[in-house]
Amino acid sequence: MSGSPAPRGLPIEISGLTKHFGSVVAVDDLGFSVEPGRVTGFLGPNGSGKTTTLRMLLGLVAPNAGRATVGGQLYRELPHPSGTVGAVLEATSFHPSRRARTHLRMVARAGGHDEVRADVVLDLVGLTADAKRKVGGFSMGMRQRLELASAMIGDPDVLILDEPSNGLDPQGIAWLRDFMRYLAGEGRTILVSSHLLAEMAQTIDDAVIISRGKLKAQGSLESITAGMAQLTMHVRTPEADRLGNVLASANIRFRRLAHDLVAVDGVTPEQLGPLLASNQIVLYELTAQGADLESIFLELTSGLGFGAPGEPS
Amino acid sequence: MINAVRAESLKMRTMPGIWVCFGLALPLTVLFILILFARAGGFAGHTFYFAHTLNQQRLLLGAGFFGITFLAPVAGVVCITSEYRQKTITNTLLYTPVRSRVLGAKTIVTSYWAVLMALLSLVIVLAVGLPWNAALGGSATSVTDQAGAVIPGLVVASILLGLFGLGFGVLVKNQVAGILITIGGTFILEPILVAVAHSVFHYNLNWLPSRAVVALVGAIGSTGFGGGGGGGVNEPLLTWWQGGLAMLGWGLIPLTIGYFTTFRRDVT
Repeated sequence: MSGSPAPRGLPIEISGLTKHFGSVVAVDDLGFSVEPGRVTGFLGPNGSGKTTTLRMLLGLVAPNAGRATVGGQLYRELPHPSGTVGAVLEATSFHPSRRARTHLRMVARAGGHDEVRADVVLDLVGLTADAKRKVGGFSMGMRQRLELASAMIGDPDVLILDEPSNGLDPQGIAWLRDFMRYLAGEGRTILVSSHLLAEMAQTIDDAVIISRGKLKAQGSLESITAGMAQLTMHVRTPEADRLGNVLASANIRFRRLAHDLVAVDGVTPEQLGPLLASNQIVLYELTAQGADLESIFLELTSGLGFGAPGEPS
Repeated sequence: MINAVRAESLKMRTMPGIWVCFGLALPLTVLFILILFARAGGFAGHTFYFAHTLNQQRLLLGAGFFGITFLAPVAGVVCITSEYRQKTITNTLLYTPVRSRVLGAKTIVTSYWAVLMALLSLVIVLAVGLPWNAALGGSATSVTDQAGAVIPGLVVASILLGLFGLGFGVLVKNQVAGILITIGGTFILEPILVAVAHSVFHYNLNWLPSRAVVALVGAIGSTGFGGGGGGGVNEPLLTWWQGGLAMLGWGLIPLTIGYFTTFRRDVT
């Protein structure tokens, strides 16, 4: 930060990325891009391929097909990897008997950075008082902060964070949110994966949602939520089977969520209400789905997917 | 590469396992010196006697070889396997993503620490062995005159023993397995193989690690690796340079195989 050239964001490009672990397809022809100057949330349920994707981007896992680049280059081909990309992957990647400052000096050496940066980043993450403590005695939250300090050692243009709020207390989470927003405001590229959706909704500008290794949605948070808000109505009725027949004959896409609950996609209440009335379907409830990130996430990753028009899925 | 070497150097320096190896070099060297003086004595009322033959004088100067034969391979094993044991490999490869560079840096740093171990053993000989030898009536210069015959072999053997450990550490990744293979294999399995090959097939397995390294260091070889006799077989050893090449192979072959197999695998 001080004394360094102004940070410049670099785009992240993922295209056709595929990874198999034996017969398991972890990532399946995944493609998306992340723009500089924005905080992009990388969302997906456990086992959806988020961590594998990030590790492929960082050269730790070799893809079976496709490319993952930062500024058009593979991570391992970057002339100054830790000066370009900072990554927080796991908070256990420390030797327990090494002191925090020593760990950071080592990271600085590996990246060819001035070892003075160790003290700068310790201060940045609020660990100055613990600089001489052995990492083995650190709490999960402190390790997470140290991992973040390691990522910031080269004052990188791109920051990649895998579940960075794990182990952080509410204060720490709020601090992290402000920190990410501050860095994005400087023009850096921030890609952050998390399962804390309420937290992410307050932090991110863009979202990439994946499930079972496939892309489900990508775009600004507003565009995703706006699009989804127009699309789904939940209908609670004791006549779910008959409702299905009515919707199928009207060529309207729907999903059966429970024995008395049907999600109807692509219609407004003004369109659906008269249709139900004209077919004399008993209604207990008719609600337009709220456009919060969590409901979108659940819609997209529930495993139900979108059926073809008229096809209960 | 320089950055990677600097980082690995600091990493080794802050690894307790390395200091344990380094620390053990001291008592083991002193122990060997004690054994040497005891074996030189044992006559006419002398429990201990100074190093009075050429062989004993060389053994005294190379007393550290006794400990180095297993401490250097352990240091090599620890250098790489602690990355997997402590899960630091992710960070290591994040900051140095070219894996061959990481391995190159570890090779250099392991060699550097093996040389330090050899130098430490020489310091112990100078600080303990020579004054003790003088106190028993021996001459210091008769021992130090053997420097040219002892020190180059000791230093080169230390480096190659370190690489031997590093190579198998890269190949197996597991610390316990790495130590078992290098130390257990050399001290337990190898003498059996040598004896069986000699008695059953009339073949001399001179190129196995212990006999190769003993060939390299010459006279002081009888101090380490079970005396280098390998199963009590007293067949001629390789020449020093053949021993050195064989030992280099015992380091580089597993290192290369390990690089192309385990070390290039996904870090998940």
